[in-house]
Amino acid sequence: MSACDPYDAHCITCGDVAVEMRVVEVNESLAVCEAEGEEREVEVALLDDVQAGDRLLVHADVGLVKL
Amino acid sequence: MKFVDEFRDGTLGQKVAAQILGVVEPGRHYKVMEVCGGHTHSIYRYGVDDLLPENVELVHGPGCPVCVIPMGRVDDGIAIAREPGVIFTCFGDMLRVPGSNGTLLDAKAQGADVRMVYSPLDALRIAKAEPDRQVVFFAIGFETTAPSTALTLMRARAEGVENFSCMCNHVTIVPPLRALLESPDLRLDGFIGPGHVSTVVGARPFEFIPADYGRPVVIAGFEPLDILHAIHMILAQLAEGRCEVENQYTRVVPYDGNTRALAAMAEVFALRPHFEWRGLGFISQSALRLSDAYAALDAERRFSVPGVRVADPKACQCGEVLKGVIKPWECKVFGTACTPEHAIGTCMVSPEGACAAYYNYGRFARDRVVA
Repeated sequence: MSACDPYDAHCITCGDVAVEMRVVEVNESLAVCEAEGEEREVEVALLDDVQAGDRLLVHADVGLVKL
Repeated sequence: MKFVDEFRDGTLGQKVAAQILGVVEPGRHYKVMEVCGGHTHSIYRYGVDDLLPENVELVHGPGCPVCVIPMGRVDDGIAIAREPGVIFTCFGDMLRVPGSNGTLLDAKAQGADVRMVYSPLDALRIAKAEPDRQVVFFAIGFETTAPSTALTLMRARAEGVENFSCMCNHVTIVPPLRALLESPDLRLDGFIGPGHVSTVVGARPFEFIPADYGRPVVIAGFEPLDILHAIHMILAQLAEGRCEVENQYTRVVPYDGNTRALAAMAEVFALRPHFEWRGLGFISQSALRLSDAYAALDAERRFSVPGVRVADPKACQCGEVLKGVIKPWECKVFGTACTPEHAIGTCMVSPEGACAAYYNYGRFARDRVVA
């Protein structure tokens, strides 16, 4: 999951892209999530009861859906 | 990968294509619009259109936020980026969108501190790391992205980060769809609804399309089988005389959306009375600004912006492409003066733009009719 590179083949916003990530650790409304070996800090305030091991659909560092 | 490999299975794709063939009426021409730029990209990346009968035509909609940004808004962003002490942040694609006098990348080359970020949260981190600089986030996107901006602004306010602000260009999906349906030069038979926008807004906001305009809507995921399945569901509705909103993407989209995301958006944003969309003109109540409660974090109030309306380049036919009136290759400058490397129109900038999708996947001459 690369950042949105101006010459890359995909833009998260324009593509309405959401990425499946696994929760590693939860710290209040932020969670460390992992996908393809890369970790990101993700807002999980929109979801109920997020715990380590959950799989989330993440868009622009916000968890939108618990899978 | 789970939820990916299963939805890229070529054998299953052939089966769904055969089912599609079974529900189309010979002699009838079907026009189905995929609203979302992500769908456009997937259709050409995976060759979904090659599996469809000749009388099923896909029309590419206005669901790429970069593609609908008018030149004047880019100029306003560049004006802020050139203010002394400003760090201007935005998503990658936005950097290459031409304003009337160059792009944000050009402004960066000329000395402005323009930085690409992956999320608004990244921009807020820059603001916290550089408290002596003004950090501005250029927010674009539909309802999928707006909650991310809203939560970041709520966090900035709660943490008292005073050197952070947002130039808000978020747009909403329903008003342009209504404008398209009112357009006399466009006949559509159904819509492939946006998948991830619907995780936020749910399926309910699309109910006006079957109710008021008699057209089916099927909300779809982004894998090739998702899209083929959605096309089959639309054509099956037409064959059976049904007309409703259906949800193909049930593994992700709840019918009522994400109520917390909607509440965050309602707190942070307010509807603009009108907003200019490239190619579609001014559409009332189609975009968001920061609410009065968040006025202190509004970059358009913190900095002076030109706010001048700039007409699109005459040679560019992005407007007709965005409305689905012409195919990208029918534009006079497609693939010649306008390429992804030197885009004239925004539809060629973003890979999710219809023109770039056609260009990148070699669809630029296949169907061209030479007079």
